[in-house]
Amino acid sequence: MTLAAAPIRGKLMKMLLTTSGIVLLFTCSALFAYEYLTFRQAVVRQVDTLGAAIASNSTAALAFDNPDDARSVLAAFKADPHIVAAALYDRAGDLFAAYPEGLPASSVPSAPGATGHRFEQSHVIAFEPVMEGGKQLGTLFVKSDLTEMQQRFELYLLVTGIVVALSAIIAYFLSHQQQGQISRPILELAETARAVSDRQDYSVRARPADTLELAVLTDAFNHMLMQIQQSEERLHGQMGRLSLLQQITRAIGERQDLPSIFQVVLRSVEDNLPIDFGCICLYNTSTQTLSVSTVGAVSQGLSSVLGLAENSVVPVDQNGMARCMQGYLVYEPDVRQIPYPFPQQLASGGLRSLVIAPLIVENNVFGAFIAARRREHAFTSGDCEFLQQLSQHVALASHQAQLHNALQTAYDDLRQSQQTVMQQERLRALGQMASGIAHDINNAISPIALYTESLLEREPDLSPRTRSSLTTIQRAIDDVAGTVARMREFYRHREPQLTLALVDINRIVEQVLELTHAKWYDLAQQQGIAIELRTEFAADLPRIMGAEGEIRDALTNLIFNAVDAMPGGGTLTLRTRVVRGNSEEQSVHIEVTDTGVGMDEETRRRCLEPFFTTKGERGTGLGLAMVYGMIQRHSAEFEIESAVGQGTTMHLIFPAYTQAFLATMRLPATQIAPRRLRMLLIDDDPLIIKALEDALSVDGHLITSASGGQAGIDTFTAAHGTGDAFAVVFTDLGMPRVDGRKVADSVKRLSPETKVILLTGWGQRMLAEDDIPPHVDRVLSKPPRLQEIRVALRELTS
Amino acid sequence: MGVLTRLTVLVAAVVLLASSVCAAPSEYQVKAVFLFNFSRFVEWPDSAFVSPEAPFVIGVFGYDPFGDQLEEATRGETVNGRPFVIRRVRNARDAADCQILFMHRTEEPRMNAVLAALDHRSTLTVSDLDVAGQRGVMIALATQDNRIRLRVNVNSARAAHLTISSKLLRSAEIVDAPAAQGGDGA
Repeated sequence: MTLAAAPIRGKLMKMLLTTSGIVLLFTCSALFAYEYLTFRQAVVRQVDTLGAAIASNSTAALAFDNPDDARSVLAAFKADPHIVAAALYDRAGDLFAAYPEGLPASSVPSAPGATGHRFEQSHVIAFEPVMEGGKQLGTLFVKSDLTEMQQRFELYLLVTGIVVALSAIIAYFLSHQQQGQISRPILELAETARAVSDRQDYSVRARPADTLELAVLTDAFNHMLMQIQQSEERLHGQMGRLSLLQQITRAIGERQDLPSIFQVVLRSVEDNLPIDFGCICLYNTSTQTLSVSTVGAVSQGLSSVLGLAENSVVPVDQNGMARCMQGYLVYEPDVRQIPYPFPQQLASGGLRSLVIAPLIVENNVFGAFIAARRREHAFTSGDCEFLQQLSQHVALASHQAQLHNALQTAYDDLRQSQQTVMQQERLRALGQMASGIAHDINNAISPIALYTESLLEREPDLSPRTRSSLTTIQRAIDDVAGTVARMREFYRHREPQLTLALVDINRIVEQVLELTHAKWYDLAQQQGIAIELRTEFAADLPRIMGAEGEIRDALTNLIFNAVDAMPGGGTLTLRTRVVRGNSEEQSVHIEVTDTGVGMDEETRRRCLEPFFTTKGERGTGLGLAMVYGMIQRHSAEFEIESAVGQGTTMHLIFPAYTQAFLATMRLPATQIAPRRLRMLLIDDDPLIIKALEDALSVDGHLITSASGGQAGIDTFTAAHGTGDAFAVVFTDLGMPRVDGRKVADSVKRLSPETKVILLTGWGQRMLAEDDIPPHVDRVLSKPPRLQEIRVALRELTS
Repeated sequence: MGVLTRLTVLVAAVVLLASSVCAAPSEYQVKAVFLFNFSRFVEWPDSAFVSPEAPFVIGVFGYDPFGDQLEEATRGETVNGRPFVIRRVRNARDAADCQILFMHRTEEPRMNAVLAALDHRSTLTVSDLDVAGQRGVMIALATQDNRIRLRVNVNSARAAHLTISSKLLRSAEIVDAPAAQGGDGA
């Protein structure tokens, strides 16, 4: 409403007043006109009547020329005060008599005019013939003034004025009173409209009006308001859902794992849509069932009542679920009406309305979003649309999360592979170096091993102390050989060949404690910390099949780790025990426990990785990896029990061997008398030649030795030429100029029957890489053991 | 302008003035009109006429002062379809055939005889003798203030079964005298 516009009140009033004014004006005008005309006629009639009467009476006066009589007749005009003048003319047209008396002759016409009447300014004048017996005797002139009419008109005007004024006043009051009936509802309507627009409150309604048109208007207005309110509510809901959708989308965009995404979605929908129950199920294509993946936090209580806890299975029944699995959003306004198990299951929990939205990725339904409310018909089309869109977002996010995880896994694998390759490269280099060292060590310790073994076998007169020392030396050499052999594990994947033997675990543990005494006792004391040692050994511990050296090394590593984990001192416990399982199966447990710093989850998970260390520069990161390697090779089990600040316990669990099993395991007989054989020893190391010569001579073989490959071939050729060929040739592999391969080649060319045994410090490596040279019948590692040589000779020559 | 022309204008003016003086009606010219007018203001019974077609007769008894002025006044006029006839009446007997009978004032001596002869017959008797009314004449034309005035003996008229219009009576003077005695004069 513009300010310039007049109020409808004023307009209505003006209209009413104008209408009544015009009506009054017309009425009065008509009345006036009527009055005027009738009055004129009346006047004329009066004048005519009077004139006729006077004329009739004045005939005799005219006929007999009696002006006095004529005057007296005219005097009758006195009866009408409006007759201001009258005159009689005789037959000749001369003035005969005039009225009133004494009227100057100039006041009347000097001669009669045409018969009849006519109006002049404020008078009406009439000429009347005076007839007697059909003969005109003269003419009567009558002049009547119209002041009466004017007076009457003035009176009329006054009365009309009063009536109009009164009518106007009455009309004003009536219109003032009645315009309210029209303007009040309109003003109320306007007030309502203003209230609506000011407060944005579309719930306001206009009061119904009692006039038909206004009632129609008010109804239309209210209807419009209702529609605006509804559409505003719809818009509001839509906006709310849109922002919820955005919020959820943002929230799930920040997450990469499915359970977390589902949890966020359900939580948001439960809190904000809201719903009474919500869960997300994943579709298992092989069983064609849905399994509940995630249940909303609020819905947890209800889900256990409904039997829809996480990981529970939901059948895909014929109705809703099946349609959902075809990719349609399913809405059941009242699940009680649906005679299938799943809706009935929901109904039993007090739920009534249900929406199942499919989760679709690349045209495949991989799950369903299930939302339910306790009321019937509780989901609007907007809700359904929202859930559909939400499920599309969830499906996309899930898909992305899966892709992301796959990518992450692939990336991790790639990095792992890369690291492994790098490590292998390093180990390979290290291994090559180690292998050179091993070769030299093996060569160096070979005489020691041979002599020690030979002494222990052949010298029964040795004092017990000497025998004990020799035994310790032999064990140390075995360990050295074993250590050297294990060096290749740094760069090899293949399971090393284990030489398993019956092992007494308790004894090994004692040995290890002895060997590591310096670490846990001496070194700790030097650093001013006290480590208390406890041992709990099971008395009747069964023996196990194992590689003593490896187990010893593993235990050494574990003890070192335990000590390192207790920089402030503590208790180191070593425990052995036997655990009996079903049907005579037994296992031997070794536990190494410390009271140190412990490991967190991350460390515990990664501690077995090669090169993973918590010791910084001091550690190689290979200790536990080697332990694990040993465990695998022994088909044993390894368990780590640890918590930060609580210390760590390492369990090594070996299968124990029953007596029956042990009976079948016999080492080859050692005391079989070998045949006397003619042998050629070729080596560039005189110490080894000497030691082998001594050892094999004692067995009764005829030994010829040659220093170096060429010398060996020459000797063999010379001997072959004399017909006194060698039955067996021992040759070192690595020799200057002519190596073991060439020797073997030459020997076999001359005498294919001659057995060639290759002795090598790389022996294990060659075995591992299937690198046994042609023409070589057997490869033996350095340091050679007499037992092995004997077995080989017997197998080759028998 | 010549003397002759001036003279002509003067003569013309004198002639015009003289003619206008001559135009003023003479006494008997007026009385002739009066006689004619009586036929309008008086009602005669049917018995006054010999036949329905009989003319309306105005008789002048004895001396006739009118000349042809009565003929002038009634020329072309009728009363109830009857034409006017002007008759000079010499004796009383003939007077009975007239509807109006005028007697000059000089006929006073014979007035009684005429009236008696009429014997209440329906003849309106008129005389210009001032006192005629008292003698039994119905209407006397008296001269007063240089005007002719009517004096009506209503009794005589009533006796003759004549109805005189009230209008006429209005402008007339009523003479309260007995009607003339009929028969004795003859």
